[in-house]
Amino acid sequence: MRIRNTKLTITTPIIYVILTIYAIVNVYPIIWMAINSFKSEQEFAVNQFGIPKKFVLENFMNAWEIANFGVLFKNSIFVSLAATFFTVLIGALASYFLARFEFKFSNVVYGFFAFGLLIPIHSTLVPIFILMKNLDLLNKPYTLLFPYIAFHLPITIFVLTSFMKAFPKSIEESAVIDGAGLFRRFWSIVLPMSRPALATVIILNFIYNWNEFAFALVLINDQNLQTLPLGLANFAGQFTTNYGAQMAGLTMSIIPIIVFYLLFEKNIVKGMTAGAVKE
Amino acid sequence: MTFVGLANFVELLKDPDFWNSVKNNILVVLASVFGQVPIALLIAILLNRKLKGSRLFRTIGFLPVVLSTVVISITWNLVYNSKYGLINEFLRSIGLDFLTQNWLGDPDLALYSVLVVIVWQFVGLYLIIFLAALQNIPNEVLESAKIDGASEWVTTWKITIPMIWDTILVAIVLCISGSLKTFDLIYVMTNGGPAHSTEVMAIYMFNETFKNFNYGYGSAVSVFIFLFSLVLIVIVRKLFKLKGI
Repeated sequence: MRIRNTKLTITTPIIYVILTIYAIVNVYPIIWMAINSFKSEQEFAVNQFGIPKKFVLENFMNAWEIANFGVLFKNSIFVSLAATFFTVLIGALASYFLARFEFKFSNVVYGFFAFGLLIPIHSTLVPIFILMKNLDLLNKPYTLLFPYIAFHLPITIFVLTSFMKAFPKSIEESAVIDGAGLFRRFWSIVLPMSRPALATVIILNFIYNWNEFAFALVLINDQNLQTLPLGLANFAGQFTTNYGAQMAGLTMSIIPIIVFYLLFEKNIVKGMTAGAVKE
Repeated sequence: MTFVGLANFVELLKDPDFWNSVKNNILVVLASVFGQVPIALLIAILLNRKLKGSRLFRTIGFLPVVLSTVVISITWNLVYNSKYGLINEFLRSIGLDFLTQNWLGDPDLALYSVLVVIVWQFVGLYLIIFLAALQNIPNEVLESAKIDGASEWVTTWKITIPMIWDTILVAIVLCISGSLKTFDLIYVMTNGGPAHSTEVMAIYMFNETFKNFNYGYGSAVSVFIFLFSLVLIVIVRKLFKLKGI
């Protein structure tokens, strides 16, 4: 098929129009929600699109008290940080061995982890629920650490291994000659050199853990152990018509993640697209 | 607990609600592939030039990807709300009252409303993937096309898209495997309702397992989802002749 050499050239103004429409569709729902969380119920009913005539913090106080936001925040921070710490620690150790040593079945082991990238995670919800129920591991402060660590190891190992493989062997060789043992080489040479990739996986894991919902829904019942997404979903399900408080809750929960995103955009984008671009 | 052999699977394959969820799941896959990929590609091609503010557009584009699906679902529930929602309120304010709908409450409409959100949520991811691929095209290629008098339109179709074709295929595979994972969004937005109209396989599995406490049956659905996803992805990869897993 021949494509005609049409004289139709896309001019810059048209490009800006298309991009602006895209940008508005992309963020306006979020902005609309955040702005309206500052309006009283009466004002929300009549003035949805404007800036609040009077900034009201009542919604935020309601959300904080009814949905127990303090507890939700605390739980989310604990689970996200702890799971991220262990995932990256275990992942870095595994990646070092996978990147540096040829052992029997090393490809099989790597393939095993890579396979984890493909598994539709929600197909494991029921088996994991049954398993953890039988082991009496449901509704514990550390319950969510198990699935979070297990299911985020694949991407962590994937990113770290490909980074570590690129290191020249000579640095480590000279360390061996100087008498550095295996773990010494890991802690003092490989880990510091991996800092950019480590930053990526730390941020990535934190976001995934902070946002995770399905496992929290299945494995946690206890009000005092709920994470933010779970608490928000329950809150919205219970107080379906309290729009103001819902919006205030949403606004509070996205502030940390948006700040995080604006600070570490490069790492986040790199990490989240790593699986695709590397192939 | 007694061993029931394949009884759960037999029951599963006979359940029309289950096949309805498979159908909806396939619609999610199709909407993602034919929604996310073309939109992302168009925006990426438009952004891939010296443009003031292109960084800002990228930042905005990727933003929904980092937000929790729960946040997105509740936000869109408010947007779709028939009484106070952004969409109906907007339609009323420009005098198009007759277009207002019960977006999530109408069984004929609910799935499409949900599909829009699914597409919306992940366009940014593919936008960034395509932009990375576009930036890898050597400048000389595009410049020589320009010197030969090719219009931007021709360059895009004959050079740019063929050169990033592999990335587009990878994106399609990602899109398929990603949309088979759809659970959180529909669970929070509609929980499969009204009248099963938005139910996908994972929602069906969840409700069978945790509402009806039928763990064996739920496990059978899990196995089905697992095999279905795996087979679909292997077939697509074979079709696209992609290497690796």
